[in-house]
Amino acid sequence: MKIAIPADKPDLEAKVGTRLGTSQYLVVVDLKTMAFEAVTSPAASGQSISGIEVVVLAISKKVNAVLTGYCSPTAEKYLSASGIKVLTGVSGTVSEVVEQYKNGDLLKDMGVEHKSESRRTKFDRPALFHALKTSFNQFVNLLPILVGVFLLIGLFNAFVSKGFISSLFSGNRVLDTLLGACFGTLFAGNPINSYIIGGELLEYGVSLLAVTAFIIAWVTVGLVQLPAEISALGFRFALVRNAASFLMSIAIAFTTVGALNFIKGLFF
Amino acid sequence: MNSDKHLGSIWKKRIVRLFVFPVSVLLIYGILFVIMPDRALLAIRSSGKLFLIILMPLSLVFILMVILNLFLKPTHIAQCLGKGTGIKGIILSATAGVISMGPIYAWYPMLKTLQEKGVDSSLIAVFLGNRAVKPFLLPIMISYFGWTYVLILVVFTILGSIGVGYCVDVLVKEKPANHLK
Repeated sequence: MKIAIPADKPDLEAKVGTRLGTSQYLVVVDLKTMAFEAVTSPAASGQSISGIEVVVLAISKKVNAVLTGYCSPTAEKYLSASGIKVLTGVSGTVSEVVEQYKNGDLLKDMGVEHKSESRRTKFDRPALFHALKTSFNQFVNLLPILVGVFLLIGLFNAFVSKGFISSLFSGNRVLDTLLGACFGTLFAGNPINSYIIGGELLEYGVSLLAVTAFIIAWVTVGLVQLPAEISALGFRFALVRNAASFLMSIAIAFTTVGALNFIKGLFF
Repeated sequence: MNSDKHLGSIWKKRIVRLFVFPVSVLLIYGILFVIMPDRALLAIRSSGKLFLIILMPLSLVFILMVILNLFLKPTHIAQCLGKGTGIKGIILSATAGVISMGPIYAWYPMLKTLQEKGVDSSLIAVFLGNRAVKPFLLPIMISYFGWTYVLILVVFTILGSIGVGYCVDVLVKEKPANHLK
């Protein structure tokens, strides 16, 4: 059995960290052999990190329990979901805490029964409730824009003639696909909106090539989020990735429609 | 206290961002109902028809969302993304992109940390490219374009993301451990 303890130094005499997400080291101790490994925590970089990374580190070390001063509810939820027991309010040195845990004193102090490391089943009720709640939130977040798109398409259907949309697209396969990719680049948001708009564009007689380029560019190329991507991943990366994705959206459109026509020719 | 204020301002921004578009469209409808009621009614009927068509696939979307949320956790994505080298690294990063949900902004901090840790930019590009493949949205896509088209598009999107990853590998001159070979 292995336990992970956040600590301020990479040894057994280090003090137990007050917070899982901010401690410099994660000391992993094998209770059978008492062998230990001190891993530098992602928090040690001193930069703002995603708390989930410390959780991933603990999971990747295949620990059975995490003993810490404090653990955020989110981190605790993910650790528990991975079958890792979390004990908070722990203090002292790493070796003291390990000894207390081995003797069962820690568990008694906290009123926790010493159970074998049975993993939670994935179908337990809290997990299902959490999945329903998360999905509901995601769905509700998606709805306002989706309703806006429905209403806007209704306006288009009532006020814009098919001839007008057709006039925007020249009928030239290359130019239309390029135009579709440009429209996809300008807009951003949930891909569901691009499918609905793309489907309606098809109704208006716009080619499948242009619609495909539009759908792919909608997600992979982002003019709106370009500043955020530059700030996170660097100017060169963001520029090269977006330019390559733009060209790739056109290539994907041609290969997809080509393959579709080929398959239709074979089977239909 | 400051943190509460900060959270409040984030929520306000989020709500404004979510509702500014639908409210603007509703305003246009409001004006049209005054000046051209017949055409406005036609527009709202057309929207209603569209909503009815999409209702069934939309219900499937919700069910798929619940299933994915039940089995996939952000930790799974973090465990896949940027791990492994060569083909394994590409497959893991592509998988992470396919199963990732939510707006891209939420993923930037983690991608930044991974890049700083030495995960190759090409694998991050593969991840971003595969975000175009959304398993839970497939019912909507199939209802509009048919399953043959969707299947082909998914395959080429995944291949295309690897192509973009290769371009990034060649043109963004950073060569830490896990780059595409």
